[in-house]
Amino acid sequence: MNTNRILCAIAAILLLGCTKENADEAMKPENADFKGTVTVIYQDQPFDNEGIVVNFVPSDDGSTASITLQKIRFVPQMPVTIDVTIPDVKLVSSPTEITLSCEETIPLAMGGEYPRYKVTGLTGKLSGQNLEFSLKFGDYPTSYKGTRP
Amino acid sequence: MRIFATDMLAAIFIGALLAVTDAHDTTLTPSRISVLKEAVDIRKIPSPVSQIRSESLKREGIFRPNQLSSRVPGLFIPDYGASLTSTIYLRGLGSRMENPVMALYVDGIPVMDKNSYDTDWNDVRSATLVRGPQGTLYGRNSMAGVLSVSTFSPSDHDGFLGALEYGTANTIKANASAFFGNNVLSAGFRHGNGYFKNTFKGSMCDPYGGISLRWKHEKVLFERIFLSNSLSASASREGGFAYGRYSDGILHLVSYNDEGSYGRLNILEGLTGRYSGEKLSVDMAASVQFLSDDMKMDQDFTPEPVFTLRQKQLSGAGTLEAIVRKNASSETWIPATGFSAFWKGNRMEAPVLFKEAGIRTLMEDNANRNIPSEIGSLDICDSSLPVNSGFRIRTWGSAIFHESVWNRGNWQVTAGIRLDYEAGTMDYDCNSLLHYRFVPIMKSDRELGVPYSGRISQSSLQILPKFSAMYEASEGLLIFTSVSKGYRAGGFNTQIFSDILQNLTMNALMDDLGVHLDRPSVSVGAANTKYSPETAWNYEIGLRGSKSKFKAEASVYLMDVRNQQLTVFPPGMSTGRMMTNAGRSRSIGGEMEASWASGRFDCHISLSGCDARFVEFNDGNNDWSGKHIPYAPATTTFLGAGYWWPVSIFNSVSFRIDGGIRGHGPVWWNEANTIKEAFKVQLNGRAALSFDKWEIFVRGTNLTGTEGMAFYFKSVGKEFFSKTKPRIILGGITINI
Repeated sequence: MNTNRILCAIAAILLLGCTKENADEAMKPENADFKGTVTVIYQDQPFDNEGIVVNFVPSDDGSTASITLQKIRFVPQMPVTIDVTIPDVKLVSSPTEITLSCEETIPLAMGGEYPRYKVTGLTGKLSGQNLEFSLKFGDYPTSYKGTRP
Repeated sequence: MRIFATDMLAAIFIGALLAVTDAHDTTLTPSRISVLKEAVDIRKIPSPVSQIRSESLKREGIFRPNQLSSRVPGLFIPDYGASLTSTIYLRGLGSRMENPVMALYVDGIPVMDKNSYDTDWNDVRSATLVRGPQGTLYGRNSMAGVLSVSTFSPSDHDGFLGALEYGTANTIKANASAFFGNNVLSAGFRHGNGYFKNTFKGSMCDPYGGISLRWKHEKVLFERIFLSNSLSASASREGGFAYGRYSDGILHLVSYNDEGSYGRLNILEGLTGRYSGEKLSVDMAASVQFLSDDMKMDQDFTPEPVFTLRQKQLSGAGTLEAIVRKNASSETWIPATGFSAFWKGNRMEAPVLFKEAGIRTLMEDNANRNIPSEIGSLDICDSSLPVNSGFRIRTWGSAIFHESVWNRGNWQVTAGIRLDYEAGTMDYDCNSLLHYRFVPIMKSDRELGVPYSGRISQSSLQILPKFSAMYEASEGLLIFTSVSKGYRAGGFNTQIFSDILQNLTMNALMDDLGVHLDRPSVSVGAANTKYSPETAWNYEIGLRGSKSKFKAEASVYLMDVRNQQLTVFPPGMSTGRMMTNAGRSRSIGGEMEASWASGRFDCHISLSGCDARFVEFNDGNNDWSGKHIPYAPATTTFLGAGYWWPVSIFNSVSFRIDGGIRGHGPVWWNEANTIKEAFKVQLNGRAALSFDKWEIFVRGTNLTGTEGMAFYFKSVGKEFFSKTKPRIILGGITINI
């Protein structure tokens, strides 16, 4: 009986030790697709793009990522939807989340750089199954919230 | 070598015939052989029949199938485009694309490719058109009738027949037939500078040059087997497509920049045979057919370099048929049972080439119309963009059929049925390759290739029954009624593939670019490009009479067409139309034909009137139910007369004058019935001075210079018409020695 208690205690200590060790390890960014809503503030009103797929593609060393928003519309009147890629988004990993930031970058769209919708003030985080970030596309404040499908 | 091959075929035939039939002596002569499949004499066929013999064909200047228009009641084969555009309307039914509603037989052999229908007839003994569905005996494509052409037999003449004529548009036409032993060798040549000028190029757009040859050999073996072998070949090179823009009610002159031409090589080897025993006879027919053609067409028919089509085909076919029947004589019951099979293969290349203006207007503008200019614009960097389409189409079929004729008293009753199976596959291999930039964003070109290939297949089984009754009310007066079913074969749309690929290319380009247009995605793919057979039930009552040199025939009919093959606007397509089974229609009409001869005078009249309308038809954009079926005239009229008198100062010299009035109309040129052409007539005539062995003549068609329309269509939103041929006058000589 005592032997069992001792073994259980040892197992519990080992398990706690392991958990502590994993909790200290930073999340490793990996390729992932998310599906969610892009909200663009247009003329002081929120304009929602629902069902937007975002591709998250980290660099090899995990320090940056490119984020591609597929088929988005910045204003309701846009007759087309476009794919926009935000390159060079900085990643800082912690054990529970990856924070995203980018002060300023030129997005890629339609086969090249697209300065008209320059990205500024991007902040966000990737935690578990969720991705969220906010930024300005040109003059349009934009935010995204999505989850892995 | 050729003779050896023919003898081998003949030997196989004879063996087969002897194996299946009894052997009683019955002397057979070629004059007893009919190219029609009916067991009864032509006079007792329970359907309206028009037969035009060689002398009438000559006097009326008929040497191509389309010249039978109006001469045969209800038949309209407009003369436009080039020799491959044999669009046939009969009894108000027909369509300008794909399979015809009328089957063509030459010396008992079915012509398998519609592109081979329009050939020069240099040696035709008779042309017989049996109207109404003839599906039970003739099978595929005999939905509205069968045209059976019989060429000269060696027994028709002994010596040489020839003709040479020259006239309008520097037209030279020559033909000759030499009869020797069991052979006829015929040759023909025709050249013409054309009748319509392409004002952009400053040259005639429809010149023609062609030659044709036929060798026919007939033999009677053992007094009971008759064999006839016909080997024909024709080659032609021509312009065509004399299409002028129609806008604001004005028809403009033909004016386009790209080449319009058609070249064709046609070879048909046909062997027919009959074994005639005391009780049974067996007819067999086999053929090998070959077609190679090459069409080049300006698709937009404007002076702008928009887009062109080149269509090259290599087609081969084989047919086989056998019919065993009890000899007609005076038997009460005459059964006939038959089997037929065919195989046809077609290899086609049909690249569409988009040129500068086409790339700009049809591709760039279409895309950029939806892209805000502040974002940028699409620029296709190629000066020309090929959209390549290649096809391999194989079609095969077989059928068994039976028809029985019962004679009792004044009654003749016919009942028959046919099971007709047909299947086909189409392998398609299409691709396009372009280079593009999205300006100002992209700094360099990007290459985009779009392949599209695969296979589709289809099959169908048709049951084609027939019932008819004929009553001989008095001597020379027959009353008949019939119910019959016919069909025209299904197939594959090949023309739509360039549109499919164009759409796929634009979609792939936009996907590659990351720009997505708010428009319907392309919903038509290869799987949607096949269409099923169209079927027609025909209900008819008529009478046929003759007395002395007066013959007359009249009938009224109702044709109910199901699964009608119609062209529609597929969803998501910008310019293309495709054939599909989209509707149902019916045609109610009447036909009359009469001829009379007395002394030196003879005359002929052919009349028809029909009301052919869509019962159900939605083309994807509009509902045309209740509208007249376009392109097919509501009435056709022919009035012809001839008179001859001897020239008294010479022996064996006579003068003959013939005149004919042909008319048709009204014609509704579009499904909306908003463009209508009234009834139009043309006057034709011929005057000939005949000597013992030769004659000199002058003849003319459209002597009144009547302006009419032969064809209408829309391309990229623009309307076009093709006019009928102008006044043509020719003079020449015929020799008969």
